[in-house]
Order: sequence, then C-alpha cells, then structure tokens
Amino acid sequence: MMEHLNNDFLIDYLHGQLPPEDDALAHAHLESCASCRGEYEAEAALGEALRSTARAEELEFPSMIAAEIWQQVRDARPSLASQLASLFRPAIAVPVAAVAVVALYFAAPLAQYAGTPAKHVSANYYLEEHAAQQAQNPLGERSPTAAQLIESSAADIGNAADLAAAADAPPLAMMAAADASR
Amino acid sequence: MQQYGKATYNFAYRLTGNEADARDLTQDAFIRVYRAWRSFQPGTSFLSWIYRIVTNLHRDELRRRKGRFQEELPEDNAPANFGGQRPLAVTPIEDYVERQLGEPLSKALGQLSAEQRQVVVLADIEEYSYQEIAEIMGCSIGTVRSRLHRARALLRRLVERAQRPT
Repeated sequence: MMEHLNNDFLIDYLHGQLPPEDDALAHAHLESCASCRGEYEAEAALGEALRSTARAEELEFPSMIAAEIWQQVRDARPSLASQLASLFRPAIAVPVAAVAVVALYFAAPLAQYAGTPAKHVSANYYLEEHAAQQAQNPLGERSPTAAQLIESSAADIGNAADLAAAADAPPLAMMAAADASR
Repeated sequence: MQQYGKATYNFAYRLTGNEADARDLTQDAFIRVYRAWRSFQPGTSFLSWIYRIVTNLHRDELRRRKGRFQEELPEDNAPANFGGQRPLAVTPIEDYVERQLGEPLSKALGQLSAEQRQVVVLADIEEYSYQEIAEIMGCSIGTVRSRLHRARALLRRLVERAQRPT
C-alpha cells in the first residue's frame, strides 16, 4: 500500500495536470484509499464551489463600457496632422532623404543651367559682332555693315526681343540663322 | 465585443473584486486589444489573449497603486487585506447576492494575493491548463503550480475558519 497522496498532488490530479503515469497511480490509489478520496472530494468541492459562486455572481456586460471603448478608440484614431507626421518617421524619412541626396547629386550640373535665369542678351550684339568680324575679314566675300545686317535679319527673325527670349540657344546657331536669312 | 466583453468583464471582476475597477480594467484591455490587433496570432485563443492583457494590466495597476500609496503587496503565501480596494458605493443588490452566495468563498477569494487570485480564477473558474495559465500570467508552469497549491490551501483554511461556528 502506497503512502497517502498529498494535497498538491491531488490538486494537480484534479486539474488533469499530472503526467500519465502519475495520473494512473493517483487514480488507482483513490480507488482503494478512503482517506485520500475524502481529501480529493474536498478539493473537488472547492473547485465546484468557486465555479458555482462565479456563475451566481456573473455580471452582465454594461453597455456603457462598450460605448466608452468605442469612444476612446475613435478619439485615439490618428488625426490628419499626425498621419502626415508619421510620414517623417525614420522608416520612411531615411530612404526618401537618401534618394533625394542622390537625385540632387546628379541634378546639380543641370541646375547650373536650369537654375540661373537666361541672361537677356540682345541679338543686336551678336549681329554687330558678326558684322564687325566680317568687315575685318579681308577675304570675306562681302562685308556688310551692322546696320545692313540688322535690317535684313529683322524681317525674318522678328524683333530683337524675340531673339533675346530664345537666348539660351547657342550663339553660333543664331549666327547661322542670321546668315541663312541673308 | 459583446461576445468577449462579458467574459472579460467578469474575469476582471474576479481579479479586482469590485465593479468600478473591473470596468476600468475591461475598458483598458479592449483599447489595448484594438491597438495591438495586428500582433494577435491567428489560430490562438482570442479570449486567453484578452485574459493575458487583463492580467498584465491588473498587475501594472497594483504596482502603480503600491507605489502611490505605499501599500504593501502581500507575499505569495500571505493573505491580503482586500477590503481596501472595495469602493464605498456598493449597491444593496450586490450586497445581497454576495451575502447569499458569495459568502464565505468570495470573501476568502478576496483575501488572496493578486497572483493567487489570478491563478485560482484561471485554473478553477475559467478551467485553463497550467500551460495556458503560464502563458497568460507570463510565468513558468512550476510557478503556476506552486501558486495554485498555496492559494487553494489558503482558500480552504479561510473558508473553514469562516464556516466554523463562533
């Protein structure tokens, strides 16, 4: 005959938490030992009393709790400002900043042209310069005066202001245009 | 929410021993559930996840109160004086129910420490396994086992003492 089971062992048995071999041992012992059975029944009665008390005291779920929870959940929903702010959190801001830096690096040479406003260069300057060069060229077929050049080109090219607007075109092309117009 | 609300509210009521604290606890737990919705593992028990949140919040709340009022939390094997947590306003109906059915067990349950109460509620009322309780309470199975043993021994002593004719 094995010695009596202690209450800790009985509590584990009651909750079905013993390893199978111990469980079988306890089961066999309780069959034959009235003293241990009495103790086991007392433990089982405590569990039953706890459950029946809990059932008897069971409370209804107050609807005001549900309402309060939804209210708080609604209030906790992030505002537009905080949603925008969340775009600046590191997970997003760091890659975006990296891409921006790389883009800036490659765009910088372009910005030298694009960034500075086109200088307002008078077309007359080029035409006069061209005429002067032509005049000094002893081998030139013709050496028209600046006044003649301006006069002849004005008809085709329009006024000098229009030319100035297109001043980001290379000077050479403009000279070619002036030449072609003759 | 209605489905789990009642179970959670009653669980919170068993832990706190009063409706006002149970309401706050249930409310905080559900708001946390809402926030942490994405971290819930599908296929696991939703209710035991909520119970875990309630248990954690209850423990945090007790710690907070302990810090504020310098209340000594009882050791695992020392009975707690639970009276301090009961709000003054208890309706006559609750009083009646408690006298009729809760006595002396409810009172005895209220005298356990928070951890002991948690483990008894989870093991005997909610009928979770030790493994599940360990997951809910965030402790080892051995701790669950020893807490339950001590809690039940204490409960039986308290109930027997209360039933003894004076």
